[in-house]
Amino acid sequence: MRGAVAGDQAASAIKSSVVTFQEIILTLHQFWKSHNCILTQPYDTEKGAGTFNPATFLRAIGPEPWRAAYIEPCRRPTDGRYGENPNRLQHYFQYQVVLKPAPADPQDLYLQSLAHLGLDPYQHDIQFLQDDWESPTLGAWGLGWEVRLDGMEITQFTYFQEVGSLEMNPVTVELTYGLERIAMFLQEVDTVYDLAWTEGVRYGELYHESEIQWSIYNFETADVDMLQTSFDRYEQECQQLLEHPRGLVLPAYDCCMKCSHFFNVLDARGAISVAQRTGYIGRVRNLARKCAQAYYDQRERLGFPLLHQNVPTSNKTIRKKMVRGM
Amino acid sequence: MAALKKTQTKSKGISFRKPTATSLPFLLEIGTEEIPTTFFPQVLQDVLALGQQLFEESRLSYHTIRTVGTPRRLALLVDGLQAKQSSRTQEVIGPPKSASFDASGAYTKAAQGFAKSQGVPVEQLTITETPKGLYLAAKKHERGQSAKQVLISNFPQYLARLTFPKSMRWNASQAKFARPIRWMVMLLGNQGLKIEFAGIRSGEVTWGHRYFRAKGEKVVQGVTLTNAATYVAMMKKLGVLVDPDERRVKITAQIAALVKSAKGQLDPVNCEELIEEAVWGVEYPHSILGTFQKEFLALPKSVLISSMKEHQGFLSLVGKDGKLLPKFIAVTNMPWGNTKLITKGNERVLSARLKDAQYFFQEDEKQPLHERVSALDGIIFHHKLGTMSQKVERVRDLVGWMAKTLDRDDLKDVCERAALLSKADLTTGMVGEFPNLQGVMGEEYAQHDGEPHNVCQAIGEQYLPRFPDDHLPTSLPGKLVACADRCDSIASFFAVKMAPSGSEDPLGLRRAAYGLVRIIHETALRLNMVDVFEHILKILAKQGVGQNDPKTTADIIGFILDRLRFYGRNTMGLRDDVMEAVFSVRPKHAVDVGDLLVRAQALQVMVSQLDFEPLMIGFKRAHRIVEKESWHDTSVLPERFQHDAEHQLFRILETAQQDVTDCVTKQEYAGALQILLTFKSSIDDFFAAVLVNDPEPHIRENRLSLLTAIDRLFLNMADFSCIQSAGTEIG
Repeated sequence: MRGAVAGDQAASAIKSSVVTFQEIILTLHQFWKSHNCILTQPYDTEKGAGTFNPATFLRAIGPEPWRAAYIEPCRRPTDGRYGENPNRLQHYFQYQVVLKPAPADPQDLYLQSLAHLGLDPYQHDIQFLQDDWESPTLGAWGLGWEVRLDGMEITQFTYFQEVGSLEMNPVTVELTYGLERIAMFLQEVDTVYDLAWTEGVRYGELYHESEIQWSIYNFETADVDMLQTSFDRYEQECQQLLEHPRGLVLPAYDCCMKCSHFFNVLDARGAISVAQRTGYIGRVRNLARKCAQAYYDQRERLGFPLLHQNVPTSNKTIRKKMVRGM
Repeated sequence: MAALKKTQTKSKGISFRKPTATSLPFLLEIGTEEIPTTFFPQVLQDVLALGQQLFEESRLSYHTIRTVGTPRRLALLVDGLQAKQSSRTQEVIGPPKSASFDASGAYTKAAQGFAKSQGVPVEQLTITETPKGLYLAAKKHERGQSAKQVLISNFPQYLARLTFPKSMRWNASQAKFARPIRWMVMLLGNQGLKIEFAGIRSGEVTWGHRYFRAKGEKVVQGVTLTNAATYVAMMKKLGVLVDPDERRVKITAQIAALVKSAKGQLDPVNCEELIEEAVWGVEYPHSILGTFQKEFLALPKSVLISSMKEHQGFLSLVGKDGKLLPKFIAVTNMPWGNTKLITKGNERVLSARLKDAQYFFQEDEKQPLHERVSALDGIIFHHKLGTMSQKVERVRDLVGWMAKTLDRDDLKDVCERAALLSKADLTTGMVGEFPNLQGVMGEEYAQHDGEPHNVCQAIGEQYLPRFPDDHLPTSLPGKLVACADRCDSIASFFAVKMAPSGSEDPLGLRRAAYGLVRIIHETALRLNMVDVFEHILKILAKQGVGQNDPKTTADIIGFILDRLRFYGRNTMGLRDDVMEAVFSVRPKHAVDVGDLLVRAQALQVMVSQLDFEPLMIGFKRAHRIVEKESWHDTSVLPERFQHDAEHQLFRILETAQQDVTDCVTKQEYAGALQILLTFKSSIDDFFAAVLVNDPEPHIRENRLSLLTAIDRLFLNMADFSCIQSAGTEIG
């Protein structure tokens, strides 16, 4: 269908009390589970965006079908504001959905998910504004939109065209919900720290102190030498792992993520000149590209296992054997 | 075989038959996910051109054709499309008659081969007369097919030719389009036509506005279109104004009403641009009026406008005094939503943005600009050219030198102070957030720091003009900093061999040079470009970058003159040959940009006068003689004259030399050129009366010197030999 979801569905999702942060996550989990997404988990390495999680970056590569949804804590050291700015955080959460191949109705699915959160598309002004997404460090780009809800950007919506400099076939569609933005909208609060994480516990109680400490660390005290050395060593490690006879692609990709993170901290620390910047980004991209190619080759040698698992690409029940196949 | 090779297929005399069937309305609607607003209106023009081309090449005539569209649909609407393709008879030319028959009069292999290739029995070939002689020809008759068949078989390949600034793949077809296609409708009259393109099959079902439900419906439903002719009206019923003009009218009216209710005026800044963006961003516009807290009005106007315009696409409002009101207008795509809720949401977003800006502003003001200058050590200007600090140092030196050169020692300190602080705002949070406010914020913060007024103004004006027809700096320090900054960038990149080449200009040096030319000419600055660039190259060399060699200066001057030509041509309507005539006689060590243009302008006026061409005949004759003899002596001895015509010409020369010099000193080039025109009859008389090549050497030499003196006088103004005469003039 090409229209939004039914109003009555939306109405049922609206609660009398506020929708808490954790309820938003649960609702999205429920919704995407019902649309046959595997609820994978956040990845335990620092990263600037949910796209870095192997469940997106690596799974987008190659012909194998894939549908996953997960929450991802993201670190953007330069965005730290010592807990003083109501909208900016150096650590925040994304809700990430990847669908491969892209279904015929991703926009409708997305709008339905908003309705489940209590955002009735028939009441609000929801617009899809051009946003050409590009990640120079991942060698990835795609076309799509930023979704605006009554003028507020709440989601990045991207059809990947290239990842790790590899052309996507089939194309993966990626939805990245800005959870704090959505929650602030739903709860009608003006600062992120006032969000109800759950009844009686505010976001600020969980994360305000960490914003202050991490801002001080990222901007003032992080050891530049240690970070630069770490970058170099993880870069080396990544290359070595890729050359390992067993093909240690997954650990190698972790090293690539580490490099990206160290670069971000160095950047926040003001330790990277404009001229050096491109050099660092190029080095991370180079690793990402090698990991992507190595991952593709490895999956190919395995005969692209998920191709033969009857992974549902639409709203059918997921078979257990697929989960086992992971 | 030789004859066969020459066979050319030439369609000659296509004859259209009157359509036998009636004509029909036609509709193609391509339903998409949201196409970027910036692709419009070009994409609709492209679809229109594609339709016109298809119908022409398919021999289908029509009454009218047009395209309409929204972010979610591109539609081609045709009225009175011929229901059946015209039949045609085509004559294809084959081998020459001489090569088509052998001695016995039988068809040659060439003739038989041609007949076979055309699928015509050889005896049906005819003989036709062409400009090259008699040739064998095949007449082929093609029966017209029904429009339906033609459209079905042709449309997919035509659609595949559409291109966009950026396109993407989204499904297994691997086709590329601006954004995914989700449905297609193709109707001829009331009949749906089935084609397949990009993995999508066309049908008769369209979708209305994404959020517009018919009464009693819970969800938006697909709707079957039954008639191509009623498309626009039908879509209106489904909540879509497909005609962009209709949306524009509606938006304008809505905005006018809101502006009135807000008791303000629309801020003219970027207002048209924003409305145009809205026209292509919605399917059915609904404009709303929002407010923000008055306290934010304490932020600089440029910050408020950037927050509203760049981030949110909001229109700003001003009161009668021209000051911003705490109000904005947003164009939404939701006439049937909860307007109150939508307005509140937009207000909250803006408020959050402004709070952010306020935060930066307050943080930035804690550290004065002059304390930020040292932080420019950490910002690289370009890896081959060192830091921003080094650039600031050069600009500061140059701008002081310029003030001195222009005899404005009184402004030297102001210029240098402005240059010193000019890039300090790059280290502020606000410029980090809004890079387009560089300079603007510098001025703002300099004022806050209590810097002198003209220093602040110069900082604010340094990036002007920001685009080709932007306004220019008004204060002299502003002009000088703007020029010095640009001259420095140009010289720096030339010094490290990074001059623009071909169409590549990643560093924007052409734009910089164009801005430089504009400032110098339009504000009548008189700077010798050779001195300017030699001065910067010297500083650069001191900083260890490049060498101050004459070749680099010459390259830069060539580059500047090239931009000067571009400017003269486009904004002053100067002819290339006229500019060349002036530019080529400029002194080696002086390039006064404004002066060259003033000279060219005067020359262009002269060139169009009636007397000019006849004068040129005489002048060019004199010039040729001087050149041929390589004569350099200009000492004329009147006692050696043999003829009145010589005396006459010499008298004119003597007065003219003084008068021309006077005019040139005063930059009155028109006057100087008018004086040259007075030579016409005297030169003619001279050549009529005497032969330069007199057998007597001293008479001959004296005449040559006279002509040389005249030639010099003329060359002082321009190289007239560059001027194309009216007969050969282009453009």
